[in-house]
Amino acid sequence: MKLSKKVVLIGHFGVGKSSLIRRFVENTFTEDYKVTIGVHILKKDIQIPETNKDVTLVIWDLEGNDDITNTRPSYLIGTHGFIYVFDLTRPNTYKNLEFDLNYIKERYPNLPVKVIGNKKDLVTNEFIKENKEIFKQYVDLYTSAKTGKNVEEVFNQLAKSLV
Amino acid sequence: MLEEYKKNYAQSVNQYLIVDTEGNIKESDDVIFKKIEGKHISDIHPFFESLTATLTEKNKDLVFSCIHLNDEEGNTIITDIIVKTFDGKKPPLIVILDLTVHYNNYQTTAQVRNESVINSQILELKNEYLKEKEAFKNAFIANFNHELRDPITGILTFSEILKKTGLTDEQTNYIKVMDSSTNYLKQLIEDILDISKIESGKAEIILEPFNLHELLDEIAQIHKINSEKKGLEFITDFNSNLPQIVGGDKMKLRQVLSNLLSNAIKFTEVGSITFKASLNQTRARKANIHFEISDTGIGIPEEDQNSIFESFKQLNHSYKYTGSGLGLAIAKHYVELTGNKITVDSTVGKGSTFSTNLNFRIDPSYKLEKSNNEETSFIESDKKYNILLVDDSEITQLSVLKILASKGNYFLDIATKGEDVIPKVTNYDSPVDLILLDIKLPDINGDEVAKLVRKLPEREHKKIPIIALTARVFKDDLKKYKKAGINDVVKKPFDEDTLLTKIREHLK
Repeated sequence: MKLSKKVVLIGHFGVGKSSLIRRFVENTFTEDYKVTIGVHILKKDIQIPETNKDVTLVIWDLEGNDDITNTRPSYLIGTHGFIYVFDLTRPNTYKNLEFDLNYIKERYPNLPVKVIGNKKDLVTNEFIKENKEIFKQYVDLYTSAKTGKNVEEVFNQLAKSLV
Repeated sequence: MLEEYKKNYAQSVNQYLIVDTEGNIKESDDVIFKKIEGKHISDIHPFFESLTATLTEKNKDLVFSCIHLNDEEGNTIITDIIVKTFDGKKPPLIVILDLTVHYNNYQTTAQVRNESVINSQILELKNEYLKEKEAFKNAFIANFNHELRDPITGILTFSEILKKTGLTDEQTNYIKVMDSSTNYLKQLIEDILDISKIESGKAEIILEPFNLHELLDEIAQIHKINSEKKGLEFITDFNSNLPQIVGGDKMKLRQVLSNLLSNAIKFTEVGSITFKASLNQTRARKANIHFEISDTGIGIPEEDQNSIFESFKQLNHSYKYTGSGLGLAIAKHYVELTGNKITVDSTVGKGSTFSTNLNFRIDPSYKLEKSNNEETSFIESDKKYNILLVDDSEITQLSVLKILASKGNYFLDIATKGEDVIPKVTNYDSPVDLILLDIKLPDINGDEVAKLVRKLPEREHKKIPIIALTARVFKDDLKKYKKAGINDVVKKPFDEDTLLTKIREHLK
């Protein structure tokens, strides 16, 4: 039986969680913003680079929430790993980054969490450098669902840490 | 009948499934997902994959809200899913509630709410960015202006000194060109500073009584000379019933009228310039006065008559007509600050008329200003005065030194830092009669130095007149200087007359 892992994407609304999943699973992108309510679940079979192990990622696209404590606990049952997404263009989506990550770590201390700054196509490298102090200690990857930059990479990295 | 209605119109549809603890479907009523008995629940949708582990737990009652599934036709249905496990003797139950209609309504509301929140966050960021940009621009302009003022003061001062050194006619002409260029540069700096003040909302109307007749004559006199230099006739028509002493912003009125007149002269090659002022009415201690400036110049096409008031707008790009394109923009903004408008009536090839109606206060308590001549009368005597200049700019030091040395009755002592002021002021060997004080000193600000002087114990020290030499003359700055005990301000760049007039005024 193929290995199946539940991955949950979490973060504020409008940060691009659904777009990242659509880019990863269907390789498509749309500029239109459609709010996610509740949860969408998609899956994708991948082969982890280097190890050649096959794994099915069952990806839970949770509705965005500006307060992580309001996340419905039932959605997180059986989770194997998290991807925390914020929007590089909206400081409101990363101002509570430390609190949110601690919240996850306290409840799921053994699960891997990848932190990504999305919408990289909308900010310059200069901007990243200017905000280095905020991002440096938390961010694993900068992604763009629009261009596809680092999208495969983030899911592959997480999958690798799950098997 | 009721059953038929329920079948047709019931909006939520529920499916009941009995599964074993491994997730194999044992029984189903097939309301939503059909023919699924014998299959594994994860075959319905990936959602159920993560449920399998919970089925082995006892007496669990889990509710999953707003789960998006796909029905057999591939349509999205939005459901609540209930999972109930029992004591281990009875198999688990799964209930799927189709609440698509309900959740679709919620989706619409959430869409509007989220879009509105995101848009307001973006607007807030844009606003913050614009504010930062504006602050940077204003700081840049203020610093740039400041840096330019010292060298301009130097050029103006030494040009005056050069004129008195027995120059040939040719050299005198060169100096005139130099003066004209420097004054033009000085005006450009003033204009840029004014427009930046206007754009940052710092420009304010300062109400003070002034002699309107004198001001109009003074403006007319300057522009008459400039008109005649171009061979233009300069006609003035000031109504005799204009009030003499009025309350208003004298400096801004001077600038509005001067800008309109300079513009008229610049764009007129033959004919005349007419400068009119007349009283419309006097009511409730307010005089409404009509100002009109007409020329016989090149005129303005109708489609451009609004855009000529925009900053940096020069319709005619010919090198013949130089200028920053700020004069009309400044005039328009200043008039608008008083709640009025400038109107333009123009025909290409025939000329233009700019006019405006402005209100002034009329108050019997207003007294006639002393004329400048009276204020500045100062008889050079044999008495020598000790002036302390506090300024780190070598150009300013040299300029002030030359200006004072030419008069013969001033001794100049120089301090380049604020900390040197008190020891010099309290030195009984050479008592200081007046301090010329730069504000932007390398160690402490000039206004702080003034405060220290005013706190000195000896009356003869703390009463020394202090004149600030500075480019920072915003209303807030002036208030700050006054509060610090600074008696007067000479704006950089200054010329010989201005500096000497102020010094004499305070030494009287």
